[in-house]
Order: sequence, then structure tokens, then C-alpha cells
Amino acid sequence: MDQYLPILVLIVLGLLFAALSFVGSSMLAPKKRPTAAKVAPYECGIVPDIEPPSRFPVRFYLVAMIFIIFDIEIVFLYPWAVVFHQLGTFGLVEILVFAGIVFVSFLYLVSNGALSWAPAKHLERAMPSRTSDSTIARISGNPDPLASGPPVASPDVEPAAAAASGPGQAA
Amino acid sequence: MSPSLLLGVAAATPRFRTPHIDYLSILPILIMMGGAVAIVVVSSLVRRQLRTGVGTLLAIVTSLAALGASLTQWADVADHGAKVTIAGAVAYDGFSVFIQVTVSIAMLLTVLVGDGYLRREDVGGPELYVLALLSASGAMVMGSANDLIVIFLGLEIMSIALYVLAAFNHRRTESGEAALKYFILGSFSSAIFVYGIALVYGATGSTNLPEIADYLSKNVVASNGVLLAGLALLLVGFGFKIAAVPFHMWSPDVYQGAPSPVTGFMAAVAKAGAFAALLRVFVSSFGAERADWQPIVWALAILSLVVGAVLALSQRDVKRMLAYSSINQAGFILLGVQAADGRGVAASLYYVFVYTFMIIGTFAVVTVLARTGDRGHDLSEYRGLAKRQPLLAGALAILLLAQAGVPFTTGFLAKFQVVAAAVDAHSYALAAVAMASGAIAAFFYLRVAIAMYSPAGASGDDASHEPAGAAGAGVGGEAGSAGSGSPAGSGMADPVGAAGGRGGAVGVAAPGVAMLSLQVLTDEAPSPEVAGRTVPVPALAATALGLAVAFTVVFGIVPAPIVDFAHRATLLFL
Amino acid sequence: MLHVTALIILLPLVGFAVQLFFGRRLADPLAGAVATIFVAASFVVAVGVFVDLLGVHAAVRSFTQVLWTWLPVGGLHVDIGFTVDPLSMTMVLFVTGISALIHLYSISYMRGDKDFPKFFLYLNLFVASMLILVLADNLLLTFVGWEGVGTCSYWLISFWFTRDSAASAGKKAFVYNRIGDAGFLVAMFLTFEKVGSLNYSVIFSHLHEIGSGNITAIALLLFVGAVGKSAQIPLFPWLADAMEGPTPVSALIHAATMVTAGVYLMCRINPLLHAAPDASLTVASVGAATALVAGTIAATQQDIKKVLAFSTVSQLGYMMLAVGTGAYEAAIFLMIAHAFYKGLLFLGAGSVIHGLHDNQDLKRMGNLRRYMKLTFWTFLVATLAIAAVPPLVGFWAKGDVLDAAYARYPVLWVVGIIAALFTAYYITRLTALAFFGEDRWRDHRPHGVGSDVAGGHDAAAGPPHESPWPMTVPLVVLAACAFFGGVLSLPWYAKGTLLQWVDPVFGANLYNAHQSAGMLWTLGVVDAVVAVIGVTVAYRIWATRSEHPQLEPAFLQKAWYINEAFDFAIGRPGTRLAAFTATVVDNRVIDGAVNGVAALVRGTGGALRRVQSGYVRNYALAITVGIVALLGFMVTRLWWS
Repeated sequence: MDQYLPILVLIVLGLLFAALSFVGSSMLAPKKRPTAAKVAPYECGIVPDIEPPSRFPVRFYLVAMIFIIFDIEIVFLYPWAVVFHQLGTFGLVEILVFAGIVFVSFLYLVSNGALSWAPAKHLERAMPSRTSDSTIARISGNPDPLASGPPVASPDVEPAAAAASGPGQAA
Repeated sequence: MSPSLLLGVAAATPRFRTPHIDYLSILPILIMMGGAVAIVVVSSLVRRQLRTGVGTLLAIVTSLAALGASLTQWADVADHGAKVTIAGAVAYDGFSVFIQVTVSIAMLLTVLVGDGYLRREDVGGPELYVLALLSASGAMVMGSANDLIVIFLGLEIMSIALYVLAAFNHRRTESGEAALKYFILGSFSSAIFVYGIALVYGATGSTNLPEIADYLSKNVVASNGVLLAGLALLLVGFGFKIAAVPFHMWSPDVYQGAPSPVTGFMAAVAKAGAFAALLRVFVSSFGAERADWQPIVWALAILSLVVGAVLALSQRDVKRMLAYSSINQAGFILLGVQAADGRGVAASLYYVFVYTFMIIGTFAVVTVLARTGDRGHDLSEYRGLAKRQPLLAGALAILLLAQAGVPFTTGFLAKFQVVAAAVDAHSYALAAVAMASGAIAAFFYLRVAIAMYSPAGASGDDASHEPAGAAGAGVGGEAGSAGSGSPAGSGMADPVGAAGGRGGAVGVAAPGVAMLSLQVLTDEAPSPEVAGRTVPVPALAATALGLAVAFTVVFGIVPAPIVDFAHRATLLFL
Repeated sequence: MLHVTALIILLPLVGFAVQLFFGRRLADPLAGAVATIFVAASFVVAVGVFVDLLGVHAAVRSFTQVLWTWLPVGGLHVDIGFTVDPLSMTMVLFVTGISALIHLYSISYMRGDKDFPKFFLYLNLFVASMLILVLADNLLLTFVGWEGVGTCSYWLISFWFTRDSAASAGKKAFVYNRIGDAGFLVAMFLTFEKVGSLNYSVIFSHLHEIGSGNITAIALLLFVGAVGKSAQIPLFPWLADAMEGPTPVSALIHAATMVTAGVYLMCRINPLLHAAPDASLTVASVGAATALVAGTIAATQQDIKKVLAFSTVSQLGYMMLAVGTGAYEAAIFLMIAHAFYKGLLFLGAGSVIHGLHDNQDLKRMGNLRRYMKLTFWTFLVATLAIAAVPPLVGFWAKGDVLDAAYARYPVLWVVGIIAALFTAYYITRLTALAFFGEDRWRDHRPHGVGSDVAGGHDAAAGPPHESPWPMTVPLVVLAACAFFGGVLSLPWYAKGTLLQWVDPVFGANLYNAHQSAGMLWTLGVVDAVVAVIGVTVAYRIWATRSEHPQLEPAFLQKAWYINEAFDFAIGRPGTRLAAFTATVVDNRVIDGAVNGVAALVRGTGGALRRVQSGYVRNYALAITVGIVALLGFMVTRLWWS
């Protein structure tokens, strides 16, 4: 049973941490309930009727993901640097391969315009720009293959239809 | 010692003894991964228009190189015997080489099918190949892993790439939906798998497969419950990857939603990798515990056989039907696992190998027939195909018949062997259920064939073959589709027809590729009305299809080499 | 040359593939020419192999070419292997030879048919299947050929499937053959169970280990297969209906190939028959009875092709009689002889039918010898040959059969002699009605009440005419064979004959009558006298008048009411069962079951349906349920252990 003692301790510690977090936050948080004005997005001006859609350019996500790549690289580089001497040439080669692969991903991102903030020329070429005609066509429901509107979802994968293709259909 | 190393306090501590690495033993894996990196580099540097072409070329070269490396390995293993390398992490034996050959071939066929798809759909460049190569390398790792941790590593390499592949066609919402479902459930099952590894480690004190076997043969495990729970959870993890009932739920949705070439790849490679690891772990490491896990595999097999066959019956979407049929096929392969002896393993390996050709070939046809947008998967799309494109219909018919297990195809011997193995293992009920489900399965494979060979305009006749309950709905739907489709005569509801008029979208989508319409080779000239509905068959896809059909038929008639190959793979099993 | 044995089969198969892929493009008549060339090439190769085989010493005159292992699964090991020995070589030679002639003939006969290429597609596959059957070195491969032949014959008989009668005739042939196949299959299972192999040589060398009861059972089961295929009592009605196919098909199926497969199989398993005297007696008795019964039926038929069909059944009965007696050589000899003259008769009949614009009714023929000279003379040769008039081939062949029967089963010899009388009678009646008498075809009043003869001569189409050369060349060749074929095996000249040639295959299994020369002479004279009597009587009766109702009792016209018997015993109860199934079982039981299943699915399967909902959470739940079930099972394992 001895071997399971650390697990028990860990569980207790985990529970304690959770409990302490609740207790701590309730003790430290301001007691006074905030007023309606306090929770408004801005404490002045017109109260919006509807939530404004929060739109971020997708590039922000791209940058975040590129950051993760290099972040991970650093995560690996640090322990490697610590035991660099012991690993010797083998370690050097391995980390170079690793860095090389990470660099390739960077290369890929650059070539795909992930870091070009201006509207990319080749992207415009690849995707036909939206004209008022195509927009009208799209909105009026005319299926225009050249309009880059969202594809019409096949009902097959819709929850109801997926169920229908199961045995229930036979019933 | 370990704390000091981790903290790096003592620079004077002796050097790591880095393991000796036998590069030949992992050469195909390295080639696959290297090929993936190379494709990323080259495609980043060349002009955008050339990317798909260059990617295809490189991917074909990589697959062929991996195949060549695998065959070199085969000769090497045959000459020098099997061994464990890289600090016991990798098993280098006939079994692992067999899987590497299988996966290399699956990769090659997928590239051939994928090229036409990429050009037609215009959804991206060679990323498909990169991801597929990585996924394939993961399956190879699973095949040669000799350690539970390495198996998990391979599983994740394979799966994560597959998740992205499922979402590859970003213009189809189904594709994204499929990927998300697959990702969530896959992560779920991976977590369970890791938990299983942890429990097994807890019970035996090792994750290394030979060491586990060694330990189990020498000791009676005190807390057997931990080991048994670990086994159960490992089975869940594998069961998910091979889509065994009741862990199959994801597969119809994912098969349907994923891009068609990816579906074929998924069905072949994920199965190959998962079955390889399943066989190695359970038959070789936990062979002593077979009394505990055999009943579970038995139940999974029966459920897969029955549920797969029965639910496939009522599908009208061909991809969905193939998903259920692949569940059924997984049930058959489980027969060999359940037998848990040399014959069973050989039968399963043979099955996986020949199934690779059948399923990728089938999906090659599905891909081609789906037309731009990858959505023409309804059975009605296949109606009258034999009149329009007899060779395409003939090839699909052969592959479907092979999957149904018709003699003189590889599929027959595959089914025959697993059933024989089950009978030898005295699992008579299982064998009987397998044969019954095979009979049911023949029905839905034949249904597609019948649709292809019946006239395009005919409606309702197919509905009479439907299970009685579905007939009502079938007639209605059928009549509706025929009513809207056939008076137009040329099926112009299809975007291809429309786009074709607008300057040949198909031609634009495939610059520089010889579009070999199989129509050229057909026996009789189609009427203009019929010709309007023919689909172009890219030369590479036709090559893949030809390879698949040729393999299926030739080695169905001359099965000995492949049977022998699978058999020797198990002889060189560690 | 021996090592190209497989080529004999491969050539027709390639021909088949060519027809499959390019048939429609080659079209009429090139497709036929191509198909003919492939079969003819196969014949040439067969001759080459034959010459090579002659060079091998008689004692070891057998060569097996194993191409590859077909089923290498555990205990079951089956090769794709082909054995050439004198027996199979003989069959191959005359199968390819006759088939080539029939192909040539068909080019002209099928001219203008809309499915012309398809016909040759089937023909080529048919020849290939037959060759597989003959050359196979194991039971399973033989069975593949056996089934291939059956399937092709189904397609060929119902070739004009838009005709109702043709479609149902094809079905009938298929069903009757399936009955026989069941016997074959069970025989294979039994053999594999007892011997552990399906290879002929292995089976034969292990015979002493499996007990005489099993040997008899296997031999009889295989005989059931042969009864189906070779149209013996009681499974012969399909052969008459098979006449619905195009005439070359009738010739192909009847003369050379399909029906002799049963006889060949019996010869192939001669060690089994030798070790099972009871089975041999059964075979001989069934054969003799078939010879007689079919002979009586043939004597009363009105349709020219039906006469020939029942004549074939009768001749096959003789062959079975020979096999059962142990006179395999006689069976083979008769098979070859029969191939010559029956092929000739069918092709001649085809020529007649062709010339009369699809009239098959004997009563509406007559005096054709004036219009179709070549056909008449060749037909006459065939008539005399089958009637066993010396010195034509039929005399020697049938003589051998009857001599052996006389020595071993005298009772069956009597039956055989009576059947021989009928043979001479019905064939002369046929010739007399068709080629002598008056020009009855000018008169197109309906004849033969109750006969199911198809077609009729249209007077406006002009007088009968001789057929074009591709149809007459085979006639001449076959006529020469039928006339001089006797030299293959003459009783007083053993060296270099068929007997000596096939002797190594049968060896000690061959029944040797050891009859004196005087006895042989006596028997020969009896045969000849019987034949001459039959011919003379029939000519006297039928050459001038075509109506002798007292000689055509309905009992015989209706083939001993065997169809009706089947109909009564199996058909009607079957129909009633089917009707019962349709109205009661289907409506109540099946529909009930289906509805019940549907309800079941709706009810209990509701869970499954809810799970396959498209919602990931439900899928995850299913996985969780699976995990719980697996863990639960493991818990029971813990408790239990």
C-alpha cells in the first residue's frame, strides 16, 4: 500500500488547492456587488442594444500560432542546452534537425503570406474578388459557383438526417 | 542520478550513452518524414501554379522510395533475422516490414488519387501529401513499435495528421464537421489509451513489450485488476482506431465528411497501423492473458460484423455505406486477432494488405464520381454508370465484389483465411456470424453494382431491393430524384455541367495533366446525351485504380505470393 | 511442348477477354473470326502437346503442370495444376477440334444476330471452362470448370432470352445441373474429410485408407453430379429443352463438351469405381436404362432437334454403361465417335433449319435431298454411323461397349441391344422424314397438334437452299471422321490404337472381357444385323408417309411423362409452396417479421438511433458505455478467477 501513498497525498493536495482557491478568492474579492453601469462595456456613452460582433482579423490567430511554434522550439531548446555537453555531437545534430524542421514550417508560413499584413496580391489572384453582382447573386440565393459563399451543407450530416440514415430510417 | 541530470548541476557527470541507432530499421519512416519536409520546402519555393504538380511528383517519389526501403528491409530481415533496435524501442522484424510495405503502397495509391482531387477541388496544394506522409509515418511507427509509449507516439503522429486531413476540403462544411468530431473523439480515445498504458505499466513495471511478456511469464501479477483494466482500456483505444463497434460511431460521419481520397487513405492506413499494434501488443505481449482479452475481441468482432453489415444496408450515401462496410471488414480482421495464433495473425495481415488495395481503389472511383464539390455520393449518381463509363463501372464492380469476398479475388481468400483461423481456434459461433454477415454484406455491395448496371432513367426498381421498412421512403426519394433529374436528360443539376459550359472549369482546374477520359477506351460510342454525364478520369487516378484492380484480380487468381508474404511476416515475428 | 499445356486453356481465355473488351468493336463477323482463331490455335497447341506426349514412354505418360498454388490455406492446399495424360489429351484434342469447327460454323449461322459478339464471348468461355474441367489435376479445379461450363450453357441456351421458352429452358438446365452439382460438392467435402486432399493422384493413392463404404459413397455422389451433367435418368429432361439455344450451341453442348463431362469425370475417377463394384453396377444400370428410355422417346419426336437431343441422352447412356462395365476405353471411343456423328447431325440439322428458314418440324420437311445435296450426303453418313452400320465408326464404338457389357452384365447387354435397335430406327426415321418423301415444306398448314415446335417455313422465302461454305466445311470434315473414325480402335489390331493409347491411365482398372475371336465375331454380326433391321424398318415406314400416329404414342412423345412427373412431384407442390409462401408466409410471416423488426428497431433500437445522432457527445457516451462494459467484463473475470 505504501506505493499508493504519494497518489493519496497528491489527491489531497489537489483538493486542498481547489478549496483554497475558492476560499481565497471569496476572501479577497470585493464584497460590494457591482452596479449595472459598472458592468457595462464602457462606463459612459450609449448602452448598446445588441452585443457588437467582435471580429478579429484571422491573422491575429496566425501570429499566435506562429508564436506557439517558436515557443515550443524554445521549450525543447532549453533542456537541451542544459545537457548540451553530455549529449555531444549526437545532440548537436539532433537539435539542428529539429531546428531545421521548425524553420521549414516558418518558411511555409512566409511563403503562404502569413506574415504579410498588406492584402496579398496572389491571394487576390487565387480568389476572385467579390463584386456587387456576385454579392447580389449570392444573397438572392442564386447558386453561383464562382461566388465564394459558404457551401450549402448537405443535410446528411445534420444531426436529424444523420439519425435518419441510421436504423431509425428502417423503422 | 536523474535529479542531478535534470538540474544540470554537475557538468562533470559522464556523457549520456546515446542508443545505437540502426537507421535501416527505421528507414521508411525517415523517408516518409523527410519527404514531407522536402515537399513543404520545395512547394514553398516554387511558383503557386506548380505546387500541386511538384508535390505530387515528390510524394510519389517518396512513397516509392519508402516502398523500396521496405523491400530492402524485407530482404535484410529474411537474411539476418529479426531484432530489436534503438534501445528496445523498435522491433525490426517481418511483421513491422510487412506493415511498412502496406503503408507505403497505401500512400502511393493515395497520392495518385489525390492529385486529381486537388486539381479539381482547388482547395490547397501539396499540404494534403505532407499530412498524409506524416500520418503514414505514424502508422509505420505503430507497426514497428516495440514499446507501448512508442505505439502511442505513432498513434498520435498518425491521428493528428488525420484530423487535419479530414478537414482538408475547407469548402465543405461536412469536412470541418467530420474533422472536429474525429478530433474530439480521437483525443478522448487517446486519453483512454494512455490511461491503459499507465495501468499496464503499473501492473508490470514496464512499457516495453518483450519485458512485459517476460514479466507476465515469470510472475503471477498480484493486483490482476490493474492489468486487466489496462488491457481493457488499451482495447478501447485500438477499437476506436479500427472503428470496432461500439467505438465506431465516428466513422460514418467522418468517412462521409472527409475528402474522398482521404477517406480511402484513412480506411487503409489507420486500420493497418492500429491492427499492427493491436496484433503485436495482444498476441505477443499479452498472449499469456488471452483468456482475459479474447472474449472481448470476440464480442467486438461479432458486434462489428453485425452492426456494420446491418447498418450498411440502409445507406443511400455510398461513402456512408462504405464506412459501415469498413466496420464490417474490421470485424472480419478481428477474427484473426481473436484466433491469437500464427495463422490468425497471418490471416489478419493478409486481410489488411489486400484491403488496402480494395478500399483505396474503391475510393478512387468514389472520388472521381463525386465531381467538383465532392458531393455526388448518392446511390442514384451511380445509376447507369456502366452505360456511360463501362471501364470505370467494371473496375468498381470488381473492387466491390472483392470486398464482398467473391472467389478469384483477393477478398475471397482474405475472408476465407480469417474464418479458417477462427474455426481452427474453435470459435465456431464467431465464424458462423462472420459468414452470415458476409452474406448480408454481399447484398449492399451488389446493390451498388446493380445500380451501376441498370439504366440511368429507371426509377423505383432499386427501391424494391431495399429493406422493406425503408422501401417507402426509398420509393419516394427515388421517384423524386428521377422526376427532377431524368427529364433534363443530361443531369444538368450538377455544377460540373454548368461550370463546364463556362470555359471548362475542369480543364482549368487541371492544367498540364492529361485528362484521360476512360470513355475513349469504352466499347461503344455514347450518345451525346449520355456523354454529357461522363466524369473525367484523371490519368493518375486511373493508374491507381488500375493498380488496385490488377492486384485484386491477379493475386486473387494467384494468391500464393501474397499469402506466403503474410505468412513469412509472421514467421519473422518477434 | 508439354510445358505449354496451360496455353491450351489460356488461348480460349484470351479469346474470351478479347471478346469481352473489343467484341462490340470487332462486331459481325470479325468477332467470330477472332474467336475461331483462338480456339483453332488452342487445337494446334493441343496437337503439339499430343505429339510430345507420344514421345514419352507409355508407362510414365502423364505430365502435370502446376502453374501456382491456388488455395494455400492451412490443411487445404489446392494447386492450379493441369494434367495431361492419354485420357485428358484425348478429350482435349476432340474438345478443341470440334469446338473450332463449331466456331467456324457459327460465324455463318449467327450472321446478323444483334448479339453476335456476345455469342462468341460465351462460346470462348465455354471452351475454356471445358478445358479446365478436362485438364484439372484436382477435384476443386474440375469443379470450377464444371460450374463454368454449366453457367455458360445457361447463357447459351437462353441466348435468345426474349423468347419465353428459351429463358425457361436455360433456367431448367441450370436447375437440373445444380441438383447434380450438389452431389459433386458433397463428394468433394467427403473426400477432403477422409483423404485431406482434393488432388486426384493423392486421392487415388490413399484409397485403401478410407474404407470401401466411403469409396462407394464418394463414387456415387460424383455420379450424381455426372447424372446431372450428362443427362441420365432421372435428370435428363433439361437436355431436350436445351434445344431452345442456337443450333451450334446444341451441337457444342451435345456433341463435344458439356454432356460428356459427366462421362469424363467417371473415367477420371476410375480407381474409385474399380474399388466400388456396387457403384459400378449402379452406373452401368442407369446408363443402360437411359440408353433404352431415351431411344424410345427419340423415336416419336417431331422436332428435329429434339430427336437429336434424346438421341444424345441415349448415347450418353451407352457411355455410362461402358464406364460402369469398366470398359473405359470403349466409353472414350464412343464419346469420340459420338462427337463426330452427333456434331455432324446437329450441324446438318442446323443447315436444314437454316435452309428452311427456321423450320424445325420434321413433318414439314421432306425431299430435301434434292435441294441440299451436300447436307444430305453428310447427314446420311452420320445416320449410318449412329445406327452402327459397319464399317462406320458407330459400329466399332458401340460394338466395344456391348461386347464388354455382354461379358460382365449380360442383362444389360440385352437392354443395350434393344436400345441399339431403337437407335437405328429413330435416326433413320429422322433422315427419311427430312430428306425423302414429298416436299411437305411447301404446305404450311399447321401440323403436329400439341407439339411445341417453334418457327415455321414461310413459303414466300423461296425453296430451301444449301448453306454457305463456313457451314458446309465442318460438315464435310466431320463426315470424313464419322466414316473413317473406326480406325481409332479396331478389335483385331491393337497396336497404335485408342485402347493402347489410353491403357496407361486405366491399367488394371480396365475391365478385360477375354472373349474369344469367335465370340467377338458373333457379337459384331448381331450388332450389324440389329442395325440393318432398324434402318430398313424405319425407311420402309417413314420414307413415303409422314403420318403414323399408332407409332407415336403420346406416352413416348411426352418423354414418358417425366416432365409431368417432376411437375407433379416437385413442380406443383413447389408452386403451391411458393404461392403459399407468397400469400401467407410473405404477407404474414415475413412482413410480420419485417414489421416486427422495424418495430423492434424503433423500440429497442431507439437507443442506437439516438446514439448515431451526429452529436459528438452521444458518440462519446457510446464509447464510455463500451469502456464500462469492458471494465465490467474484466471485473467478472476477477471475481470468477
